[in-house]
Parts: sequence; structure tokens; C-alpha cells
Amino acid sequence: MVVPVFRGAVKFAYRFLVNNLVTLFLATAMTAIAWTLHRLGQDNIVDYSWWLLQQKPVESLGVAFFVALVATVYFMSRPRPVYLVDYACFKPPAPCRVPFATFIEHTKLINKDEKSVQFQTRILERSGLGEETCLPPANHFIPPNATMEASRAEAQLVIFSAIDDLMKKTGLKHKDIDILVVNCSLFSPTPSLSAMIINKYKLRSNIRSFNLSGMGCSAGLISIDLARDLLQVHPRANALVVSAEIITPNFYNGNQRSMLLPNCLFRMGAAAILLSNRRREARRAKYRLTHVVRTHKGADDRAYRCVYEEEDGEGHSGISLSKDLMTIAVEALKSNITTLGPLVLPMSEQLLFVLALAGRKLVNPKWKSYLPDFKQAFEHFCIHAGGRAVIDELQKNLSLTAEHVEASRMTLHRFGNTSSSSLWYELNYIESKGRMRRGDRVWQIGFGSGFKCNSAVWKCLRTIKPTVDGPWADCIDRYPVQIPEVVRL
Amino acid sequence: MVPSLSDEAMGVELEKSAVYGHKFSTVVPAEATGDAVTRELTNMDLIMKLHYLRAVYYFKQSEVVDGLAITDLKEPMFPWLNVYYPVTGRIRTEAGSRPLIKCNDCGLRIIEAKCSRTLEEWLSVEDSSRWRPLVPEKVLGPELHFSPLVYIQFTRFKCGGMAIGYSWAHLLGDAVSATNCINLWGKFLKGNPSLETLRLSNHQKKAESPAKHVKAPQKPVPVKQVKLAGECWQAPDTCKMATCSFKIAETDLKKMQGEKQNHVPPFAMISALIWKCLAKNGNDRESKSATICRNSTSLKSSDMLTNNLKASTITLDSSAANIDLLELATLILKHELDELESIDELIDRNSGKPDFVLYGANLTFIDMEGIDLYGLELKGQTPVQVDYNIDGIGDEGAVLVLQGRGRTDLTGSIQERTVMVTLPEDQINQLRGVLSSEFGIA
Repeated sequence: MVVPVFRGAVKFAYRFLVNNLVTLFLATAMTAIAWTLHRLGQDNIVDYSWWLLQQKPVESLGVAFFVALVATVYFMSRPRPVYLVDYACFKPPAPCRVPFATFIEHTKLINKDEKSVQFQTRILERSGLGEETCLPPANHFIPPNATMEASRAEAQLVIFSAIDDLMKKTGLKHKDIDILVVNCSLFSPTPSLSAMIINKYKLRSNIRSFNLSGMGCSAGLISIDLARDLLQVHPRANALVVSAEIITPNFYNGNQRSMLLPNCLFRMGAAAILLSNRRREARRAKYRLTHVVRTHKGADDRAYRCVYEEEDGEGHSGISLSKDLMTIAVEALKSNITTLGPLVLPMSEQLLFVLALAGRKLVNPKWKSYLPDFKQAFEHFCIHAGGRAVIDELQKNLSLTAEHVEASRMTLHRFGNTSSSSLWYELNYIESKGRMRRGDRVWQIGFGSGFKCNSAVWKCLRTIKPTVDGPWADCIDRYPVQIPEVVRL
Repeated sequence: MVPSLSDEAMGVELEKSAVYGHKFSTVVPAEATGDAVTRELTNMDLIMKLHYLRAVYYFKQSEVVDGLAITDLKEPMFPWLNVYYPVTGRIRTEAGSRPLIKCNDCGLRIIEAKCSRTLEEWLSVEDSSRWRPLVPEKVLGPELHFSPLVYIQFTRFKCGGMAIGYSWAHLLGDAVSATNCINLWGKFLKGNPSLETLRLSNHQKKAESPAKHVKAPQKPVPVKQVKLAGECWQAPDTCKMATCSFKIAETDLKKMQGEKQNHVPPFAMISALIWKCLAKNGNDRESKSATICRNSTSLKSSDMLTNNLKASTITLDSSAANIDLLELATLILKHELDELESIDELIDRNSGKPDFVLYGANLTFIDMEGIDLYGLELKGQTPVQVDYNIDGIGDEGAVLVLQGRGRTDLTGSIQERTVMVTLPEDQINQLRGVLSSEFGIA
């Protein structure tokens, strides 16, 4: 009883001292200076200053100029703050709902191979998805009606709903959008989806628009990164970022097991986010973007091929997931953390990490490497809801509690894997539960083909009240739910 | 059930190819029903499991019908199925155990099709099998776990008219339940109906009550045991059945009765009429006994899905051909129908076996009076015609007496009855002959 309490006290004292080292040092220094000045006496200080100015004008002015120069350079070179004013997620309508039984029955009717059907049934039973996930209207047909027109219809449905919601929430006017970034990996028509948005909302002719395709499930954070860079260059600008994945054209018709997973897990979803660098938005913005760290493991062949679109032996095209996927994901995460850690971790954790590293290198290679405790750096975690395995693996690797990964698990259950927009559904879950307080830090982690691991860190600017609208509004009270290991179908 | 190759049937084969462009999809309840919700099948449900109700509702071209795209037709189905969620379930039969419905929201099958004829051309064919291409002929099985219980087919005619085909597995409920179910969809199509009067009872497994054995001798239940050929829940075809239909106006029935004060109701008259005609053809058993079947349309049982049928057999002393028409009709009218309590003794509690047919075990006359067939509305528009039939009828055949739409003529309003007759092929032709020669009914 005494030892854990003692250990806890030591831990706390250590963290307090190291994390606030600079503050403590400055506080001590300022106290010393103030004391010295006090000892000198007020009149003496004034006389001394006056004498200095008269006797050594050049040096005085030089020092003053130097200080002013340093201050100016510092303030000018600080990056423009990027505010997340608000965001909106697409809520799939009831007619798009696909219960497990319907999915299996359709699979049986479309795919005559019994083994494939059984395989997909087993996947679905263990997937962590719920009975309310949604597929686009084209996928409710036997066989799916995957025409170009149907794909465009889905894109319009999900994207325009999200943007309409966002405009209503923020009062954003079409003429106020300066930058538009759209990411959708698997559907890239001509004209692009960004052109489709510009057409629908009559955006300005001098808009800076970008359409990112083929960049996988982590493309949402790539779009945020791009928007942030653009907001550094363009002053007083609003950026609309749209993350979506269009399911209609991507149904896999074959029997290759490695390619059947996307059919089982991918579902409809989209999110629209409003970023701004305008000062006045700081008052009502929800978050400020503090860091974006992108890690690309594509140089490694294994990582490059682990999520690969190709045709199977019968000519059906689909996305093949390799068995190494989890290993590669963890490696990519570790890489990402190596860069992110120093930016976000408190000094106490970084010191321990460095000491452990030094110890391993210099003293004894058998010392265990210290895994920094990211729970010290963040209050909330949004892990891409790519599948149950991803969330389990990350929970284990980052030593997270069930509550930390609750947003991810519940998003997977209610909405399925909505690809790049899943991070926004997760964030919305945390807000809907009333857990987002001012000052909280959020870590969004996205994984995607390439293989990429991208992180974004946000700081909450104001305590957010749970809203009456949004995708979770009608079901948040039912959550969290207990998700069984295997659902019996 | 397979149409024979008579002249009319040849026409139907041609008509089959007139319906093309089939597209299949599924609709499910808007909200998740929940885990492990099941619906027990009562003994009555299991007796009816080999029968299927097939209805086709014909709607004329109009602005309303033109304005209803498939998405407009499907959208109200989602809240509708929240109410009727068991119809979206699937049969579960574990080896040797009693079948039940797993309410897993699997859904109804929706079929869209086009027809190269106009609605008028189609309805001008008075052939009784004209409805076949417009409603799926599906049965439950061979994979029971994946067989939808209800199908709905939307067929657009060349002129813009529409036919709604509705296939309903009888084990879910009787014709009253089926009709009320689809009529509620029509109400959802119009707006949001009030649902206070609707109730879905949770069928509980009936406990075995030994006291029943002590009761007064029960009347035999008018069912026949059959052996299924294969995995499908389909009555075995021992002889080729055919259907024919004709209309009889109420006034014609009244004429047959002469100048009496209290006229016998149409159902009894028609049943007696057909029985006599069939008896003339010489089948001994048929001429002496027949089953009368009636649905309960009373609101006493407000359970939405129930097989609430009354049926029993009339056995005559001599052939029906020898009995006067009016006398026979009065016999039928006065005959008491049973609640079919004794079926509990027939079905094994644990396995749900053996398999039975009710319709067609004997020559069966089914009274469809009082069923709101024309109550299905598409935003206020009612059907111009409703074709109705039952599949899975046993060898002795069955006669359905349906209420007609009622139309106004120069002489005033005409109420008529549509009679659908399913019999072995050879008997159909003979029946037709007798009806037209002796009673002047085409």
C-alpha cells in the first residue's frame, strides 16, 4: 500500500519538475532580478538608466533596435494559426441501411461461391460493425447497379449533405470560400468532385481548388495538411475541406479472399470541415491545429504493396490487403511517433525516452526501450476506424484504456469504415458525449494505402456542448454498446 | 400451379415474355429490430405454411402514378417495416426443432419490371392466369434461411399504368393480415398514419393442456397430410392444376333464387352453384363433402399478423348434384365453422411436423368477403382491378370468392363477385362447360 503511493508521489514530483522546468527557471530568475532591483532602489534605477542613455547612446539604441528586430522577426515568422471553425458529417438516411442478414443474403445471391460467402460471413461476425451501417442505393440491388450515374449520385448525396449542414452551422457563404480541398480515393470522375462542388454552390472563379484522389484512407489528414499550408500563404482566407469515399463503383465481384474485406467493412460517409486563418474566427472556432505529421513508408516494397488495387485471376478488380498489414501499420505508427513525440510529449516523457535510449546505446543494449506515455500528451484519441484489428493493435501499442478508444470502436459499430471521414465521426462522438473541454488536446491518427500514417493534433478552444443535430444525435444515448467478439448470424 | 397448355395458357406464355427488364433489390426496416428477436409459429401458422397468397393490384395511368418513381415507392416502406418487422425475417429451422421466424431485418424482395402491353390490353385478357407474370411465383426454400417471406413487384405498363404484385407466405398470416399489411404501406405513402390501433402480439409457445383431451368429440380438422418432395415448402404436385375465373353479378344470383324475401348471401350461392356443377362430373368424394373456409375480419383479434381462419367440412348424405341449389346454399350458410382447436393435436410441439395442406385437402370454398382488397391507395388513387389467388392448393381444388370492385352502369350500381377456381385440369374444362350451358355464366 505504501510503496505504490510513494511511487505515485515520486512520479508526480518528477513530472511536475521536468515539465515545468523552464517556467520554474524563469520564475526563479525573475524573482532574483526583481530582488536585485528592489535592493538598488527605484531612484537609483532611473538615474542609472538615464546615465546609460547619455553616455552610451549607440549601444543603448543598438540593444533596443536589436530587441525590436528579434521581436518583429519572431512575430512575423510565427505560422498563421489555423482554426477549425466547425465541421459536419453526413448522416446516412434510413433507406440506405444494410443489416447483417441482408448483406449475407445479397452476397449469396450475387456470388455463387459458397466458400466466399462463408468467409465474408465470418468476417462480418467478427468485424465490430453494427446493424445500422449504410451502403449507397446502388448496392441494394442484386447485383449492384454500379453505373457512373449511380456513383455521381452517391457523391452528390454524401458531399452536398455534409456541406449544406456545415453552411447552416457556420453561416458560411459561397463567396467566402477561398480554398477548396476534396479527397476521395476511389472515385475520380471528370470533371472532378471539386468542380462538382464549385458548380453546385456557385463558388468564386478565383477559388484555389484541389482534388486529391488515390491517396487512401489517410487522405483526410493530407487534405488538412494541404489546406494548412495554403492558409499560410493566403491571408484572411477560409478553406473548405471535404473528405469522402464513394462506395458505388468499388464493389468487388470476385472470390479472392484478400480482396473481399473492403466489401464487408467499407460504408457510406463524408465530412466537410471549415478551416480559417481569420483572426475573428478565433472567437467561435472549436479547435486550433497545432501539428500535422505525415509519415510515408512507400520506399519499403512490402509497405508499398500491402494495400494494392489489382485484378484477380478472373479479371475482377479489387483492393488486395496483405497479411502483413497490421505489422506494417505498427511500424508506420512507430515512425510517425518518432517525429510527433518531441513535438507533443511533455519534457518528463521525452527525458525518460532519451535516457532509456542513451542507456541502451551506451550502457546495456538489453535495456527495454521506453514507450512514451501519450496519455500525458492528449486527452482524446481518434484512431481511424479501419477495422477492429487496427483499433485493438493501437490500443495495445499505445497502452490506451477502453475509454480512449471508445470513439473509434463506436464509430466502427454505428457507421462502419467510412475511410477518410471516420476521424470526424469519432470527433463528433466525443463532442456528443459532452467530453470535449477547453484546452483538451486531440490526436487524430489516419492510416492508408502507400503505406502512410498521418497524425493531426488539435487543441480545443472552447468547451463544446453536445448538439441536437449531427450524425450521433438520435443514437448517442444508446452508446457505448458492448460489442461481442463474435456476433452469431 | 404450372399453367397448362390450353389455348388460354398459350396466351399467358406469350404474356410472360411481355414482362421484361427485371431488377431486384431489398428493403429493410428503418430501425434495427434488435438482437435475437424471434417470432414463434403457431400450429395454425405451420398448417398454412405450404400455401402462398398472390395478389396483383392494377392502377390506371394518372398524374399520381406517373409521379411515383421507384424511390418514392420504396421510401415509405422503411418506416412501414418498423411496424411489420416480422415480415422481413427469415425462417430458422435447426435440425429436428420447430421452425420459427428470426426477426433479423433481412428484408422484403422488391422487383421492378416493365411490360410491353398497355394496362387496358392486359386487363382485356380475362384469362385467370394473367396475373402470373406480374407477381413472383416464389416459395420458401430450398434454402429456408435465405428465402424472403414477402415479395413485391412493380410492373410499369407501356401506357404508364402500374401493377403491384404482392406475394405473401401464408404462415405469416391470413388474407386479412396480408391485406391490412399492404394497405398500411399505402397509408405511409400518403403521409404518417396513426398507429394506435395496431398491435403485434408475441406468439408464445402454447403449453400442452391435457384438459383438451377430455372435451366432447371434436370434428375432424379439414387438413391433409402431405410429404414434401425436397427442401422447398411447396405442396407436391400430384396432378396438373389449372385455374379459371369468372365474374358473377349479385343480380344474377338473386335471379337464381327467384322471388324470395331473404336472399341467401352471394358466397353461399356461388359455393353451392359450383359444387353442384362439379358434382355432376362424377367424383364421388367431392360430390359429398367440401370444406368451407372463412377469414375472421372481426376486430376482436387486433393482432396484426395472425392466421385466424375458421374452417370445417360439410358432409352430405347424397351427391350435391341431387340437392336443390337453394337448399344446398342454405346448408352452406347455416353450417357452423370451427375454431380449429383440434389442430394442436396434429402438430408435434417440438418438431412442427408433419406437413399439411388446408386448402385443397377437400374441395375448399374460401370466403374472401370483407377483406379490404381495394383499400390499397396510391396517394388517394385506388386500384381498378385486383387479381387474387392462392398457390400451393391441394389436389381436390379450391374456389375463392372475392368481392369485386363495384361499378356503376346505366342500370345503377352493380356489385359483383369474382370467382377464382383452381382444379385439376380436366375438371376445369368440364366445369366451364356446365356453368355456361346450365347457368349462362361464361
